[in-house]
Amino acid sequence: MSKSLVVFTLITLLPFLCYAFSPENPTDRKVLVLLDDFAIKSSHSLFFKSLQSRGFHFDFKLADDPKIALQRYGRYFYDALILFAPTIERFGGSVDSAAILDFVDSGHDLILAADSNASELIREIATECGVDFDEDPAAVVIDHTSYTVSETEGDHTLIASDDLIKSDVIVGSQKIEAPVLFQGIGHTLNPANTLVLKALSASPSAYSANPKSKLSSPPQLTGSAISLVSVIQARNSARILISGSLSLFSNRFFKSGVQKAGSPTKYDKSGNEQFSVELSKWVFHERGHLKAVNVKHHKVGETDEPAMYRINDELEYLVEIYEWSGKAWEPYVADDVQVQFYMMSPYVLKTLSTNNKGLYHTAFKVPDVYGVFQFKVEYQKLGYTTLSLSKQIPVRPFRHNEYERFIPTAYPYYGSAFSMMAGFFIFTIVHLYNK
Amino acid sequence: MARNLVPFLVLLFWISICQAASIFQPISDSHRYAALELFRPTDGVFGSLEETYEVLRTFDILGIQEKPDINAATCKSVSEVLGSSAALKDLFYALNVNGVLKCEIKEEIYESITSRLRTVLNDARSLSEFYYSIGSLLLLKEQSSGVDLSLMDADGIFQSIKALSQSDGRWRYSSNNPESSTYAAGLALEALAGVVSLASSDIDQNMIGTVKNDILKLFDSIEKYDDGALYFEEKVVDAYEHHGPLATTSSVVRGLTAFTAVTSGSLNLPGDTIFGLAKFFLGIGVPGDAKDLFNQIDSLACLDTNRVSIPLILSLPATVLSLTKEDQLKVRVNTVLGSVAPRLTVKIVRAFLSGSKDTSVIEGEELKFDTQTSLHILEAFPKTFDVGNYVFVFEIILHDSEQMDIYATGGRIRVPIYVSGVVKIENAEIAVLDSDLGSIETQKKLDLVGESVVSLSANHLQKLRLLFQLATPQGHGFKPHQAFLKLRHESGVEHIFVVEGSGKQFEIILDFLGLVEKFFYLSGRYDIQLTVGDAVMENSFIRAIGHIDLDLPEAPEKAPRPPLQPVDPYTRYGPKAEISHIFRAPEKRPPKELSLTFLGLTFLPFLGFLIGLLRLGVNLKNFPTSTVPATFAFLFHLSIAAVILLYMFFWLKLDLFTTLKALGILGVFLVFVGHRTLSHLASTSAKLKSA
Repeated sequence: MSKSLVVFTLITLLPFLCYAFSPENPTDRKVLVLLDDFAIKSSHSLFFKSLQSRGFHFDFKLADDPKIALQRYGRYFYDALILFAPTIERFGGSVDSAAILDFVDSGHDLILAADSNASELIREIATECGVDFDEDPAAVVIDHTSYTVSETEGDHTLIASDDLIKSDVIVGSQKIEAPVLFQGIGHTLNPANTLVLKALSASPSAYSANPKSKLSSPPQLTGSAISLVSVIQARNSARILISGSLSLFSNRFFKSGVQKAGSPTKYDKSGNEQFSVELSKWVFHERGHLKAVNVKHHKVGETDEPAMYRINDELEYLVEIYEWSGKAWEPYVADDVQVQFYMMSPYVLKTLSTNNKGLYHTAFKVPDVYGVFQFKVEYQKLGYTTLSLSKQIPVRPFRHNEYERFIPTAYPYYGSAFSMMAGFFIFTIVHLYNK
Repeated sequence: MARNLVPFLVLLFWISICQAASIFQPISDSHRYAALELFRPTDGVFGSLEETYEVLRTFDILGIQEKPDINAATCKSVSEVLGSSAALKDLFYALNVNGVLKCEIKEEIYESITSRLRTVLNDARSLSEFYYSIGSLLLLKEQSSGVDLSLMDADGIFQSIKALSQSDGRWRYSSNNPESSTYAAGLALEALAGVVSLASSDIDQNMIGTVKNDILKLFDSIEKYDDGALYFEEKVVDAYEHHGPLATTSSVVRGLTAFTAVTSGSLNLPGDTIFGLAKFFLGIGVPGDAKDLFNQIDSLACLDTNRVSIPLILSLPATVLSLTKEDQLKVRVNTVLGSVAPRLTVKIVRAFLSGSKDTSVIEGEELKFDTQTSLHILEAFPKTFDVGNYVFVFEIILHDSEQMDIYATGGRIRVPIYVSGVVKIENAEIAVLDSDLGSIETQKKLDLVGESVVSLSANHLQKLRLLFQLATPQGHGFKPHQAFLKLRHESGVEHIFVVEGSGKQFEIILDFLGLVEKFFYLSGRYDIQLTVGDAVMENSFIRAIGHIDLDLPEAPEKAPRPPLQPVDPYTRYGPKAEISHIFRAPEKRPPKELSLTFLGLTFLPFLGFLIGLLRLGVNLKNFPTSTVPATFAFLFHLSIAAVILLYMFFWLKLDLFTTLKALGILGVFLVFVGHRTLSHLASTSAKLKSA
């Protein structure tokens, strides 16, 4: 009896245990970490610790563990996946690249780190996300002008890059002063893919090649087209971080000082910790995830939403937008949220004004075209989730008795008609009774 | 299959985290900072007593003075554990902690623990029971003076532990658990060492000999990385307690050193094996996990004092040396924990440019020892020493030949060293040539160090030639790894060419006729950029030389299209321009005054009519005089007035339906009274006529 009760409770609780990031239940997130070796858990412990301190629960597994599974009966066990297994050729258990892509397609987040010996499997997953790693397996990113001054690393593959994406929502509002250390392989972004962004780019003098062999033909990747770390936000708001370097997240890089070649400033600590922690906040939706609630519209001076508007009505449109901060929904403040009054093409496009408490508001006059319109908010901003709201509303023309009734211009016509009638009245009397 | 992959992956990983594969740095201050950061007490304690012991042991080995104050709270829990009948494991760690903190424990407690441990030891069946009880007894021996701890039946206990060993040198956890484990072997060796030192009489040397054989067998199963690091790995994955390579190796090292410390006679284990183990522990770097850090530091401390051979670590403070700054080659030799090595000499066996193994630059040179900094220094490079990527082979020679057995030096150590310098860039020029004649159309000198830019123009029948010379500080030719010429079209399409060189001279000729297709027939301005860089070139540069205006023929129909250029993410988003609807303009109307004037004018004919009537002198004499016709006539005109009034209302407010309804009723009435009135008038006028 008690056993069946437990089973029953478990079954009823199951839907709440974990799911992709959802505005309804954004906390308590479970992350699966797949590693080449458990030593990564220790050598990258600062990165994991910062996530754990923000309330994430980790499940560390070897990538070839035969027991790993992402889902069973269509339900996912985890909200996010960290793939710190650059050399893995085949995952254990039921996981393969298609399973990982399905995981992302169902709205889950992914952090993937490759390295100089990245396997075909890891490259394939990255390619599916719009990121093409250098095909030469021996190639690493080399930069002879913006490397890190080091007494022990002489081959200029340890790069100090400070070309970060200019987006406060992705890399945090606090400026990352120190350059970010990078050692690994470079990738390019598919230009046709508009969802993928370069979070950390190489300098114009960088190139991707094997440092041990002479170059006879131009390398495939050169200059600032090389992306070192990229982020992707899918249309379903799943977020992906792809780094060409696993050591970028390591304690060694977090702690080490950095001095960029040719620059006199020496930083005691590289920007890696700040960079990767801030990026992880973005990837795990602690920043830049918007939700819109209480979409309302009504005529000016009224509060109820009408079933339809008449042309030339004055109306008000209101929407509340909040951003998830990792703990709570906080009012989102921006000055570029726009609403469209749309039928085949926008008739009215207006920027909403905000009260800085999340409420956005505007008022405009319904155009003098009737038909079925939509209130559309298509909010796209670098790094933020896309808000796409639409609400249908018909607009009708004037009724027959809603037109103007006494037009001054027509007074002479009225006057002549009535004077005619008065004349007729008098004429009947005179005509009948005159003698 | 999958399991076999793990060591391989581990290997790759280690290589990836320790880039300079053959250089290992001994324990340094970074470990101390890491330890202080990792071990932070919460509420005056470090979690369990096991963790506390690990912290205290690590701090002790690293020689950290400013320990957090945990004595009061920890001593309290130590005496609690010792006073109660806690599990053996807790007892063991409590005694360990007590050994460091020296808490005040009464002798009676020690006595009761001793008697308890003796009973446990007599009935012990599993390895952990042996390990913890013997370990605890050993600790009691150090901590209390009054208790007699010598083991009477040492031979028997030794044999029952030995009974758990397997033929391959590994151990089982208990007699009814068939799985053997390398980790358990470490525990067993430690327990055996404890038995030997607690024994009241000498243990049979034959038995010790077989254990030594077991150790050698165990070392047959050691695993090896490419860089020479050696480690043990647990073969059985599903053991009830899985240990990683670090924990397993650490356990074996502890057991080995404990066992060799208490037994006489040498163990026939090569020094290189110990050196390989040291490499393994140092190769980890600074672990981020408390347990890993303890295992690493504790094992290294064991290796530092072991009786087989003490590894000496050769490390270089810098492997990137600058010729311009006249850096000296410095070598440091330490033990694994960073303490001073015995008197020795470091010798460069040979040094050669990587890629040309046969020609040595330096051969058989001894480094000078500087007593102040305890560094071995190469005073000066030979005169002909040039920039390049060298490999130095070092060898450690101990002064005291007796110490050769005590220390393991790791034989010949290969260290890659980058010697960098300023490369001279000279005679740079860029020219546009006529294709068929090869004559120079325009030629410009370039100053690759300065800022000047050139502007050139060419058509598809011409060529572009770029020349420059690179020379090392010694005046030899220099071939940089990166020598790219980049042409970048206004539309963002880039073309990269490798500038080939022979000796000092570098030259590239771009024949535009052959490149037309590659350039996608895109005419216009191309920015020229030259990048020259190498790992040993201190003045690597990226330089915008200028631009060239290319006049290329029109693209034929089937020419390849230029590739898609990435869209700038910053401009892709952002607010759009506002759109406001343009409303239909209201119709034009005359001013109100004009309408009113015309309204007045429409009344003029009516007024004229009235005046005309008055002039004509109208009268109403024909109005019926009798009451009934007069009433009908009156009603007739009243209803005409009502119809007109109805029209008035129709204009003002009524709609057509109300008006028609009212008009119907009024009309019937009007027809009736009208008929009566008119027929009366007609009969009256007929009478008049007939009269």
